[in-house]
Amino acid sequence: METDLLATCMAALELLFSGDAELWTIIWVSFRVSMTAILIAAVPAILLGFVLAMVPFPGRWMVVAFFNALMSVPTVVVGLTLYLLLSRSGPFGDLHLLFTQPAMVVGQVLLCLPVLVCMSHAAFQGIDRRAWETARTLGASHWRALLTLTLEARFALLGAVLAGFGRIISEVGCSMMVGGNILSYTRNIPTAIALETSKGQFAQGVALGLVLLVLALTLNFVLASVRGKGQLV
Amino acid sequence: MRLEVQADNVVKRFGERELFSIQRLHLGEGERLHLSGENGAGKTTLMKILAGLDRPCEGQVRITPKARRWWSDRIHPAVIYLHQTPYLFAGSVEDNVSYGLKLRRCASEVRRKRTRDALTWARLDHLATQPAHSLSGGEKQRLALARAWILEPKLMFLDEPTANLDSHSVTTVAGLVEELVHTGTTVMISSHQENAVTALCTRRLSLAQGRLYETGFTDEAPYVQH
Repeated sequence: METDLLATCMAALELLFSGDAELWTIIWVSFRVSMTAILIAAVPAILLGFVLAMVPFPGRWMVVAFFNALMSVPTVVVGLTLYLLLSRSGPFGDLHLLFTQPAMVVGQVLLCLPVLVCMSHAAFQGIDRRAWETARTLGASHWRALLTLTLEARFALLGAVLAGFGRIISEVGCSMMVGGNILSYTRNIPTAIALETSKGQFAQGVALGLVLLVLALTLNFVLASVRGKGQLV
Repeated sequence: MRLEVQADNVVKRFGERELFSIQRLHLGEGERLHLSGENGAGKTTLMKILAGLDRPCEGQVRITPKARRWWSDRIHPAVIYLHQTPYLFAGSVEDNVSYGLKLRRCASEVRRKRTRDALTWARLDHLATQPAHSLSGGEKQRLALARAWILEPKLMFLDEPTANLDSHSVTTVAGLVEELVHTGTTVMISSHQENAVTALCTRRLSLAQGRLYETGFTDEAPYVQH
């Protein structure tokens, strides 16, 4: 048993370092889809987080509670909802997005947006209101003052982006439902792990798992060091 | 440019509680005003309303000549408000001092020279590259003054500029404010105590029980309610 486990790990490492084309295509699809989703979601989420923190309006607390609740929605439920919308009989069936990378991007945007909004909201809430007033009295327009506050909160906002990325790079439910796990197209790291493990092909699963593990450790390390810098400022 | 402020029927409420109601207040060019009042009287709120950082519930504040910014005519480019405890942006002392000039898209060489001049004026040249957050209380107050001075304001609101400062720092800040005043800048200084800075003022206003009273300006009307 132990020999099998060791052999599997060795095979996994060999797959990784030998540059196995299929393996690295899966890794590339994962990063491409998740990076695209984060880039699409980041700016609107940060803007919304700013508005929720700085602009009083009726029902603001409900919007904040709504996004907090969305963070808890299981990824497979988001995937199922999107599947129903994008399927041939759904309202957006004519777009032919189901089982494509764009569909996966949409799903991951929906998954990371609540995380980004809630953490951006917290980041801007943590900024002294005097920062906004100081920027404005020194001549900043609303947009320029927003940029100033974003720079003031840059470490916390970077933490929000990393947390959002962490949520989507490792999610399997939504990617499986709307991506279809098509080799060299929509098969990403989590869906490949699920498939290979179900086939008994553990080496590739372990190799991809190692990639996720290294990524998770790296993200957390960067997050911790960024938060530490934020506290020192 | 003669800058004047006219506030008419300004009322500020928080919920059901009326903080103050001011019938009329006029600030003329070159005036030095001391705004006194107990804690919670509304001095900060009044100054922020006059500076355009807050809105009155009723009434209006007019600053002439009008600002020409397309994005706001409430915050005048020649009017600056300084907090009791200044907020300093992340970055160095000179980054903070030059913040306003960067917004005005000043040429980099001009900006560098004026930043040096401002640092010298505030006696902060030796701290130019230091992180702003590492400064002492008195140094932060001088930095905030330099950050405003560099923009050549016509009107400045100084909210409790010497709160929590030792006597030496109070004297230094008073010296800087006096230099500002001698350039013709109108200043309104809020403080609930008399000190070297408020001693520069020639016109005294008192905010009490929701009303603004003028004291010690003219002999004919020593107590005039606004």
